[in-house]
Amino acid sequence: MTLNLCVLTPNRIVWDSEVKEIILSTNSGQIGVLPNHAPIATAVDIGILKIRLNNQWLTMALMGGFARIGNNEITILVNDAEKNSDIDPQEAQQTLEIAEANLRKAEGKRQTIEANLALRRARTRVEALNTI
Amino acid sequence: MACTNLTTMWGVSSNPSLSDSSSLSFRSVLNPLPLPNHNTSPSRSSSVAPIQSSLRELRDRIDSVKNTQKITEAMKLVAAAKVRRAQEAVVNGRPFSETLVEVLYNINEQLQTDDIDVPLTKIRPVKKVALVVVTGDRGLCGGFNNFIIKKAEARIKELQGLGLDYTVISVGKKGNSYFLRRPYIPVDKYLEAGTLPTAKEAQAVADDVFSLFISEEVDKVELLYTKFVSLVKSEPVIHTLLPLSPKGEICDINGNCVDAAEDELFRLTTKEGKLTVERETFRTPTADFSPILQFEQDPVQILDALLPLYLNSQILRALQESLASELAARMSAMSSASDNASDLKKSLSMVYNRKRQAKITGCGNYVL
Repeated sequence: MTLNLCVLTPNRIVWDSEVKEIILSTNSGQIGVLPNHAPIATAVDIGILKIRLNNQWLTMALMGGFARIGNNEITILVNDAEKNSDIDPQEAQQTLEIAEANLRKAEGKRQTIEANLALRRARTRVEALNTI
Repeated sequence: MACTNLTTMWGVSSNPSLSDSSSLSFRSVLNPLPLPNHNTSPSRSSSVAPIQSSLRELRDRIDSVKNTQKITEAMKLVAAAKVRRAQEAVVNGRPFSETLVEVLYNINEQLQTDDIDVPLTKIRPVKKVALVVVTGDRGLCGGFNNFIIKKAEARIKELQGLGLDYTVISVGKKGNSYFLRRPYIPVDKYLEAGTLPTAKEAQAVADDVFSLFISEEVDKVELLYTKFVSLVKSEPVIHTLLPLSPKGEICDINGNCVDAAEDELFRLTTKEGKLTVERETFRTPTADFSPILQFEQDPVQILDALLPLYLNSQILRALQESLASELAARMSAMSSASDNASDLKKSLSMVYNRKRQAKITGCGNYVL
């Protein structure tokens, strides 16, 4: 019995096929999902999604959203998702540095909120490249 | 661009006499009666020359109108192809919004009795309003950009009349240049959507709007975009983006609310050989959640994660619809430009032929 994983972003379907296992980063920590998991609904944090297909792990950077795990069907709705093979290492590193600089420059509540979000996203992308 | 290069080449690489003779030879190729013209007596040249030069001018005009018509026709076809792509983008976004609506609906059922306190739904007394104005990047699209900018100005006046403060977030090069030239309108940020709006661009707008609302700098966010009604008609509309209603309804400023479960899709099809647009309204079937579904976190936290997703998808839809309306406007503007160009070419050709025949008849007497 395999899990059917669906990763959806507002403008496209990023992943729609069967997997053996996934590890998801939620607001309350990382959870691993194997076949026949109990049905749950959870919020997804800006973090990494690891997918296992036949002893091979694949990493994806998710930019926050929601996940629903049902009868061996996982639906993940996120703002944006990038496979680690699609991320350019130099560009990700540069974005991270720019985000860090912006956070240091940020003044006021609003700029800090924006800068923090941008930093978390940039950090996730760089992490996705570094894991595995 | 090639033309200017050619002219500079002439200017740089030749001395005046050479350029004169080359242009003369060019003229003589066009000229139906070569030799007599160079040796004509002054009286004759004065009667013959004006007719010749206007013939040449007419010929040049006809050529340039023909070229313009080719360009506008090509632009129309390109715009038609892009509308199809824009429509595919909307179709691609449906699985996301369908699932989202389903989940939102079910969570609301569970939270019926509880008081929801999610920051994005907080209704505060309105003191400052943010207007997100979506325009296009390029011109040659008829009145498209103008309509939306006029609507924005009208809304700004309304807000000023109500004594409310406002700020503008401009998306699109045309809107950006408009607001840049008017420093008396406070603009928060200039963004660009590019040729095909993706989740990244929607995210940039969403981030800005999110931080403005959460930091309580503005109390209401309105989205101004052009709704794609049909190939010849598009309507600039104003939707209230934030505060969101927890049920996911999207409300007009007049208070007309559309339920989130109803989705309108437009499709470009052909009817009787002509391109038309059909709008279909889908009602998403909201199946019941399995009752044993457990929430990993507090339902409120989950709602907190869902609503930014909903915000993103709304913004993306607005960008996509705006793009589709811009392409449709460009299609119809270029189509009428092509028609005008072919009409002009026809009438110019008639005048040219008449003049040519008159000259032949006139000069024929002299040959005899």
